[in-house]
Amino acid sequence: MSENNTKTKQTAVSGTPASNATGQITQEQIARIKRMGKIKNAGGFAVRHIVLLFLAVVWLIPIAWLLLTSFSDYPGVNISHFFPEEYSLENYSKLFHPDTVAQFPRWFTNTLIIAIFSCIISSLIVLMTAYATSCMRFKGRKALMNVSVILNLFPGFLSMIAIYFILKTFNLTNSHIGLILVYSGSSALGYLIAKGFFDTVPVALREAAYLEGASEFTVFCKVVMPLSKPIIVYTVIDSFLKPWMDFIFARLILNSGVSKDWTVAIGLYNMLDRTLINKYFAQFCAGGVIVAIPISILFVIMQKFYVEGITGGSVKG
Amino acid sequence: MSKVKSFFKGIGSWFREFGEAVVKGDAFTRLSLLVMGAQNIRSKQVIRGIIMTVVEIIVILYTVLIGSGFIADLATLGTVERKVEFNMNTMKNEVNDYDHSFQILLFGIISVIILAAFVLFWINNMRNAYQLQKDREAGKHISSFKEDMVSLINEKFYKSLLFIPCAGVIVFTIVPLIVMIAVAFTNYDKTHLPPTQLLSWVGLDNFKNLFSNSISLTFGYTFRKILVWTLVWAFFATFTTYIGGILLSMLINNPKTKVKKLWRTLFIIAIAVPQFVTLLLVRNFFADSGIVNTICSNIGLTGFLRDVGILEAGMNYIPFLTDPVWAKVMIILINIWIGVPYLMLIATGVLMNIPGELTEAARIDGANKFQIFRKITMPYMLAVTGPYLVTQFVANINNFNVIYLLTQDVYTTTDQALANSSGKETDLLVTWLFRLTQEEYNYKMASVIGIMVFVICAIFTLLAFNRVTGNGKEEDFR
Repeated sequence: MSENNTKTKQTAVSGTPASNATGQITQEQIARIKRMGKIKNAGGFAVRHIVLLFLAVVWLIPIAWLLLTSFSDYPGVNISHFFPEEYSLENYSKLFHPDTVAQFPRWFTNTLIIAIFSCIISSLIVLMTAYATSCMRFKGRKALMNVSVILNLFPGFLSMIAIYFILKTFNLTNSHIGLILVYSGSSALGYLIAKGFFDTVPVALREAAYLEGASEFTVFCKVVMPLSKPIIVYTVIDSFLKPWMDFIFARLILNSGVSKDWTVAIGLYNMLDRTLINKYFAQFCAGGVIVAIPISILFVIMQKFYVEGITGGSVKG
Repeated sequence: MSKVKSFFKGIGSWFREFGEAVVKGDAFTRLSLLVMGAQNIRSKQVIRGIIMTVVEIIVILYTVLIGSGFIADLATLGTVERKVEFNMNTMKNEVNDYDHSFQILLFGIISVIILAAFVLFWINNMRNAYQLQKDREAGKHISSFKEDMVSLINEKFYKSLLFIPCAGVIVFTIVPLIVMIAVAFTNYDKTHLPPTQLLSWVGLDNFKNLFSNSISLTFGYTFRKILVWTLVWAFFATFTTYIGGILLSMLINNPKTKVKKLWRTLFIIAIAVPQFVTLLLVRNFFADSGIVNTICSNIGLTGFLRDVGILEAGMNYIPFLTDPVWAKVMIILINIWIGVPYLMLIATGVLMNIPGELTEAARIDGANKFQIFRKITMPYMLAVTGPYLVTQFVANINNFNVIYLLTQDVYTTTDQALANSSGKETDLLVTWLFRLTQEEYNYKMASVIGIMVFVICAIFTLLAFNRVTGNGKEEDFR
């Protein structure tokens, strides 16, 4: 609502110069209009920044609460005060001295290992698929792309239930290999953004390489890849972040209840169990902060390409 | 239509070539019907011929030894129930040689897929054999094995590139989807759990259940209620964040705004924290005995709302996430909080690309800012982000995280009819599906719902892609 208000105010401010068009304006009138304009501009300037400040505060309150609670002396949910009564670093030190419930260091290494492997596999898969569909022409290319559109319409974890049973037959549930396979197995379906980028690499460059006698493989490795650093960075970060953000697939696959097998997401979720929340809420916040720091950094690096990826493919249209 | 026509034409000519190969081929081509590599070996493609034949032998061995058993059982999904009997001789509990219905279903389907793929491979091989024969007779160059290998990194590089991705998608998406679609036609639920019990085919019963109502069966009622809320949610979640994101990015990117980068970063911080952390946090933030409720009652808001009649008498907290209406509104508001920064990022990228001449020309013609927004900015945004908007709508129909993390363990329904089929007012189809499998082991209904979600998403995508994007553009985008 508040955004709408500023919008109308903005138009009101800019509405004044239009009266110039009527002509026959005395010097005095011009001066008055100019003065009014300045006041109104200053007003608009203030309103604009106050609104932005208000919105920023709204957006940052939960984050602030996360940070504050993580430094709180009280382990449960503080329901009477926004700011903790006493500050301490105890929640962080507890995180690194695991007990039976909270094994944060284990979770962190688990997630890191899973993230690294699934990141390598799925980045390769995505880049390979994108190159084949963007830079090469072959029979069935369109058909393949249409199939991928259709497959993307099914809810992801409908197939998860069957995947769970497949993995169970091969004894891969409750194992990190199983989870890596789940994250990277069907990653080819997310090739569209990378394809959009490869579409923008000039064909002339590749043709020049072919004329020099380069094989398609050489063109892929030595011509297109070096030109595609942004999309490689995007793909790598995106697939690296997936295991950190994902909660549902991890919980389906790692369902044994053995705390040391978990990823960060399941572990932190478990801390908010009804029986545990009063002892572990502040630790949950501390864990959230620790995970959020590396992710935020990667996210800020990635966001530039995120926009390019989503708009890039369609702008050329 | 012409596309469909040419598609069937392609299939027709494919089979015709196969027939031609059988009728007109020489002895070795015909021998390829039995020994797939025959013509290759005759034409001195020895290694290729051997590989073909070995693949053939492996597939036939698999089908005869393992696959055929599963495929035969697929009709009944097993007949021998699991029994544990105490054996007096060994003094141990012994399990009989039982049928595991789900394994039969899974491996039966995998075997059928392998067999079908092999038949296609076999037909294709015949066509190739005949072509090879013609090439040999015409004295054309016949590629050696080494040349074949080299072509895999040259003109056939796409085959090497796509092999692993396609295998991954087949194993981790297509096969599981087919299995789950098949489950929708079985009685896989709490009282029929393999391996202890047997499954059987029930035809369309589950689909009928989804649309029917009785005292014990409330799936029809629940499905209708949840479907309506899913669509309402998807609509609001998509458009509130879309409009909000555009307005916010216009506010930030306006030349009169100072320190643009700082503002942008502030909003990005909010989405850089993993969603499961922020959502679980916000859920405690707005809990019935949470901090927001404490503040609201301290400043007298709770009392005021009670006096006005919005809250029932006797309530001393605001049921942000525990009352059906409040919870739905809160979920949409919290989703705005999550979604607007993303849209702000995208809109920023797009707005910067709007050709300056367009807005300049409009300004000279005397358009005011609102007109420019309505006639230039919005149409441009829509044209560029149209496809994104459609995918976003579909993604919101499937938006699991927001609803599940905000309401699981917090929201309990008081509607007995909903509770009977383990639904809640705030559930989307996908969260309902998930909880049916996790809490009720009702896989049959979950599969039916999954299929319905697909149908809904497919309808919207088809409608919207034809509307939002021009025909030519769609070709390019896919």
